[in-house]
Amino acid sequence: MMKKLTKIKAAMLCGAMAMGGTAAKAEMEYQQVSDLLHLVMSSDRTVYTRMIVNRLAVKEGVIKASEHFEDDKALVLPAQMFRFGAEMVAEETDAFSYSLLSLWPINKQNAPSTDLEKEGLEYIADNPGENFYGEEELGGVTYFTAFYPDVAVAEACTQCHNEHKDSPKTDFEGGDVMGGVVIRIPMDG
Amino acid sequence: MKRNTALWILWIGLTLMGAGTVFAKLYIGGDRSVLLPGQTAGAHHQLEIACETCHTSKPFASQAKLRKDINKTCETCHKDELKAADDSHPKKKFTNPRMASYWEKVDGRFCTTCHSEHQPEVTLPMMLTLQGDYCVACHSEGEQDIRKDRESHADLTFDTCASSGCHNYHDNRALYEDFLVKHGQDPWLADHAVIPVAALPAPPRAGSADEIAAYLAAVDAPANSLDDQIAQDWAASAHAAADVTCSGCHAPEEDIAWTDHPDQGVCSDCHKPQAKSFSGGRHGMRGHAKISKPRDAKKQLKALGWKDAPEGLITALETYLGDPVPPAAMTTDEARVELRDDAHGQGMECTACHKPHREEPDFAAIGACLTCHDDDHSRAYEGSPHHDLWLAEQAGDGPAGSGVTCATCHMPQEEKKGFALTNHNQNDTLRPNEKMIRPVCMSCHGLGFAIDALADPALIANNFSGQPSRHIESIDWALKRVETPEKGANQ
Repeated sequence: MMKKLTKIKAAMLCGAMAMGGTAAKAEMEYQQVSDLLHLVMSSDRTVYTRMIVNRLAVKEGVIKASEHFEDDKALVLPAQMFRFGAEMVAEETDAFSYSLLSLWPINKQNAPSTDLEKEGLEYIADNPGENFYGEEELGGVTYFTAFYPDVAVAEACTQCHNEHKDSPKTDFEGGDVMGGVVIRIPMDG
Repeated sequence: MKRNTALWILWIGLTLMGAGTVFAKLYIGGDRSVLLPGQTAGAHHQLEIACETCHTSKPFASQAKLRKDINKTCETCHKDELKAADDSHPKKKFTNPRMASYWEKVDGRFCTTCHSEHQPEVTLPMMLTLQGDYCVACHSEGEQDIRKDRESHADLTFDTCASSGCHNYHDNRALYEDFLVKHGQDPWLADHAVIPVAALPAPPRAGSADEIAAYLAAVDAPANSLDDQIAQDWAASAHAAADVTCSGCHAPEEDIAWTDHPDQGVCSDCHKPQAKSFSGGRHGMRGHAKISKPRDAKKQLKALGWKDAPEGLITALETYLGDPVPPAAMTTDEARVELRDDAHGQGMECTACHKPHREEPDFAAIGACLTCHDDDHSRAYEGSPHHDLWLAEQAGDGPAGSGVTCATCHMPQEEKKGFALTNHNQNDTLRPNEKMIRPVCMSCHGLGFAIDALADPALIANNFSGQPSRHIESIDWALKRVETPEKGANQ
């Protein structure tokens, strides 16, 4: 795990968090910025999963959630909702990026593709409740990369992954680490 | 002066003059078509004299800036098309730094990675300038090795991925696996084979002689301009029923004098969606809003750092080095497809297909196309099963929406506020032709038949007179995989 944490100007990333003129000048550690970003992502994702998809598609059964949501006139899957948000962020800024990856992805595009991704995803799967932080160079740029466990928060998560024909793991249970949210911040220089 | 010295001075003078001329044409103004590095692909030749449509960078910009800028201009015209395609390899998929290792293989962040202009000698169909087996770069190793993911693909070669009716780089709306499974058992022809939007009610029109007479009694055209046949035709049109009067087109504003030949701006003033889609296709792309205007000499000099150039110099430059103005519409002389000998010189304005006063659906949907197009597919239309269906519908022997014209497939309609709205981009369901499957073919045909038919060049050439001689196995493989799933296979 990375021990020495460098600093990032909060104003670069946290315009929405800035509270008055003084806050814009504050500096935050990469890890702190990343943790805060993840808190927002994780909360929104959990709310969507529990209060929209699980409630309407699993408990009440009034609408389906489907990977082909347009053709099937269905709810967007929680993983897709998360990815669409990440893509929208990527269109607005390159100050940070994020992804939802797994050692057992339904879509193999979401399998680890860098050495650090493999190391980080294995660490959070083997150490429930812990995050993983590191640095890596990609495309000539050094990134601070953080890994956060993505836990099965509702029946909809395990049901879909266990039943999908392309899922490499079909025995997930509630509370299991199913993958990880990966946040990257390019480091100064 | 020695002879050699004089020759040196002459050589230097001529060199400077030549270099100055090239420099001026490149950076200030003038016809630059002689400087084209190579013929453009597809229909881009219609933009060749408007270089700034694609080349927007300032002089001497860095290579990275040039690449970024030129790729941005691709989206100027093609962004909506890519969005509608639910692009399988969108730029946003590749901008994430975790995809950096793929940038060295096929850099999906840039259109020009696969579509490089001015290289006719290496340009393949779909304006592809990579080799046809480009899928191998990313899908032949590691997690993405398709030969390991799919038992059915183990022995396939990578030059067949996108050339066999199975996959496209961008548009797979009718080809993705779950869609194949969902429609894999559809019959080749539906029991009620009708294009639903073509069966929608037409806008109201004056039908009876009394209604036409009542309309003509109140018309506001100058008496001497009113041809009786024109008046009769107009009175029976949807335009008349919608209270569009003669002056609506011939004198659209109070301070504009009557003109016998209005330009097509009067059409697009009201028919905005049609005009927009027309400008997205080959017929009308000259009218696209983003085609660059001729360069302004003063602005060009300013961009080069000369802010206060003398007015005389600017006037002289504009006089002798003015950019040519692109014609408002292409003519058939510029077409790069097979056309009839007697079609040359035809302008591609609205009136090329739509008679200004008389509604002729048969001409707009078929006749106008066949007036110009002279390829096998076009020549085979009349007498084809689709044409027979159209004739039957017109004769009242077939249900509304059962006829299939050129426009049915190449300018499909969609429903808007209860009426049919025609897409005037005749290319929207082509490049690749599998784009036609969902909005057109599947109204009447099963997915399997449509995939096979569109992958059969001979059947396309005879305008679908018969059954496909080829069979694309993608549906068979998809159904088999559902019945006996390959654990861990990619989606």
